[in-house]
Amino acid sequence: MQARIHFIEELTRLNHDILTMGTKVEENFRKAIEALKTRDPELARDAKAGDALVNALQLKIEDQAAALIATQQPVAHDLRELVAVFKVTHNLERAGDHAAHLAKLAIKFQEEPAFRQIEKLEEMVDRCCAMIRGTVDAYLNNDTAKAREVAKMDNEIDRLNKEVVKDVIELIRERPEQVDRATRLLTNSGYLERVGDHMTNICEAVIFMVEGEHVELND
Amino acid sequence: MSPNDGQAMRSAAPEGQIMRSLSDVVQERGPSLPAANVAGKGVQIRKLNAYYGAHQALEDIDFDINPGVVTAIIGPSGCGKSTMIRCINRMHEVVKGATVKGSVLVDGRDIYASDANPTRIRRNIGMVFQKPNPFPTRSIYENVITGLRLNMKRKPKREYDEVVEKSLRAVALWDEVKDKLHASGTALSGGQQQRLCIARAIAIEPEILLLDEPASALDPTATMKIEDLLFELKTRYTIVLVTHNMQQAARASDITAFFLADERHIGHLVESGPTRQIFMTPTDKRTEDYISGRLG
Repeated sequence: MQARIHFIEELTRLNHDILTMGTKVEENFRKAIEALKTRDPELARDAKAGDALVNALQLKIEDQAAALIATQQPVAHDLRELVAVFKVTHNLERAGDHAAHLAKLAIKFQEEPAFRQIEKLEEMVDRCCAMIRGTVDAYLNNDTAKAREVAKMDNEIDRLNKEVVKDVIELIRERPEQVDRATRLLTNSGYLERVGDHMTNICEAVIFMVEGEHVELND
Repeated sequence: MSPNDGQAMRSAAPEGQIMRSLSDVVQERGPSLPAANVAGKGVQIRKLNAYYGAHQALEDIDFDINPGVVTAIIGPSGCGKSTMIRCINRMHEVVKGATVKGSVLVDGRDIYASDANPTRIRRNIGMVFQKPNPFPTRSIYENVITGLRLNMKRKPKREYDEVVEKSLRAVALWDEVKDKLHASGTALSGGQQQRLCIARAIAIEPEILLLDEPASALDPTATMKIEDLLFELKTRYTIVLVTHNMQQAARASDITAFFLADERHIGHLVESGPTRQIFMTPTDKRTEDYISGRLG
């Protein structure tokens, strides 16, 4: 007979919520970038509203995790997993905020003409979504190799961010009247760059959970 | 460690490298190593095998117990943990047909050497059992000095008075019983009775204190008092605690040793180490399974 069935069931339920949270953040990013591309304020509002679910899931998962710590006295891997849960939810929630920022940008830009940096932003969002999916998979499967692999994708997001910054600075030089628009682009590109850092934090938490070691994956 | 130190450590760590392992944290912060000014004697167990007649209960145990720390022995029923501590004070051989091979060195001397005196050894090693067992017909006062009277020459009453007060203070019982020292020990609550038994054990100034499930018959408040007491006593005695209660081992001990019986029902030491490491990152999967409640 398998022992601790109740605990394992609770943990499985909690991990299911983490999967939902990660999926929701990814979905919000997809909607936000699509809204920005197609000038669709409705879709942007939908993406922004989706962040409320992400925030609610964070609280629900953290309450569940705290209750498991209080009532089940987890140790070793079980304890490290619950410690990792708080890091996963915290970093996913921050990523979710950045999806909401991007949605707000789409609302703001609904009447604006097309801009050339959209392609790079879209590429960054693609990478962010791949990282979110990868980190959540690595967490759910206790897969440290995957965590290490996913963390490397952060370098690509950093590179794209630098390209956007360079591009936008050029834009400001060429058309100083566009400074307001340019600043918003810069800020959001920075937010996407931070998403890569948040996912890297989760990858480090996965390694701590599985191996009990604190590692620094990207400097 | 200040936050700035942590920052420095983060930035100094090369990419992909382990910044610091949990065991480093244990070494830095854990009380696993004895302080310099502790009393008590170290115990080295070497190639210890214990038997009940033809049945072997323990096989090839190698294990060091340091003074100044509480060492907990955990493991499922039948893993030999009680046998283990009964080998440390030669109580194991009191059972008919029970024998021991190997050695137990206390302060460097083998208590199983041919010229060793079991009675003298037991006198230097106090033992407290699961169920509080004060002598029912004796008063609190007499309970504390029973060991002294049995083991040593008669002393003036003033000296006994001093030992009684000192021992009862050491177990935080003095204030509760000082006005009824001549009442029966059995009139006390379970937790008080157990502390009285610990006072009786330490009244003879043992080098080592063995506790076999000392709090398993006590309520949570009394249990906490016993655990606090272990923290106080560990600087004066080498303490070995056998417990079924893993949370108690986690709370009250500095070193944890995990015993497990194999398929032949013979107990082995699976691993031992700083308690924080055992409960955070055990190295053996069997330990992980046991402490996580997935085994036994």
